[in-house]
Amino acid sequence: MNPKPFFQLDRVIHEKGRLPIMSLLAATPELSFTELREALKMTDGNLSMHIKTLQEAGFVSVTKTFHNQRPLTTCSLTPNGRRAFAGYIDLLEQIVRQARDAE
Amino acid sequence: METDWAAKNLQVIRTLMERGAVYRRALAPVMGAIGLTGVVAAGVAGMLDLRAPRSLAAFWMGVASLCLAEAFWLIRCQALKDSELFWSPPTRRVVQAASPAFFAGFAAGLIFLVIGPGGPLAIWLLVPGWMALYGCALHAAGFFMPRGFKLFGWAFIGVGCLLGAALCLIGPPPVIGVNWAMGALFGAPHLAYGVYLYFTEKDRNAT
Repeated sequence: MNPKPFFQLDRVIHEKGRLPIMSLLAATPELSFTELREALKMTDGNLSMHIKTLQEAGFVSVTKTFHNQRPLTTCSLTPNGRRAFAGYIDLLEQIVRQARDAE
Repeated sequence: METDWAAKNLQVIRTLMERGAVYRRALAPVMGAIGLTGVVAAGVAGMLDLRAPRSLAAFWMGVASLCLAEAFWLIRCQALKDSELFWSPPTRRVVQAASPAFFAGFAAGLIFLVIGPGGPLAIWLLVPGWMALYGCALHAAGFFMPRGFKLFGWAFIGVGCLLGAALCLIGPPPVIGVNWAMGALFGAPHLAYGVYLYFTEKDRNAT
């Protein structure tokens, strides 16, 4: 089996905590911090840490606004993040295909 | 072995993307409009002194159709405003989930119209029947919508069952009361839920 696709996987996305965040954000234009936290059952600190990593990689953009005098944090995938996520899925599919062909 | 984790990751992604694509249209205007229509319709039916069972069934089926049309129009306006597809995958899932119970409610009304009245109890029993089926539709749609919607569905199912039991045990009140029951049990809760959503729909996302 060709191990190349495995080594090409983006390590920022290929992490247990960050892959679900990217998956949820890929399905919708934007999600609030609360919605992400509730959907993934993560703690505030853990989610903030992963979002920060994704933000630093340029995959996620975070917008902070106020609604009814309460802070509202929304996250969305950047075009770069969408491309990286699509590439990640392509590589996973390649790996699955290769393994099935080898069987 | 390598294929296992890759396939698992793909499955996780698929599941999360489906869950992430919840129905996100603002429901406050939809609920408010449906509620207002229900309450006004009850008033109109009362003023017209609508008490013939067939006319009552036809009138309320017409009101239900009007409410569906209003919901369709409001949701379409929102989708256009947000430059999003109207027939998006979440919308499709919500419609698919709610359709069987809606269809059953429509069929029950149609059967009543065709076969004809069987005394006041028959038309009265249409109200809890519609309520329970409508509750089932809301509950099914609630799997693809924000929290709270399933509970709203359960409330309709519960009240419908209680009303049905009360009608069978105590007997039906005068037929004219059907209009007030429809206004109070369909219109008013929607109006109240619409007002509640108006104040909370954005707030619950705040952090």
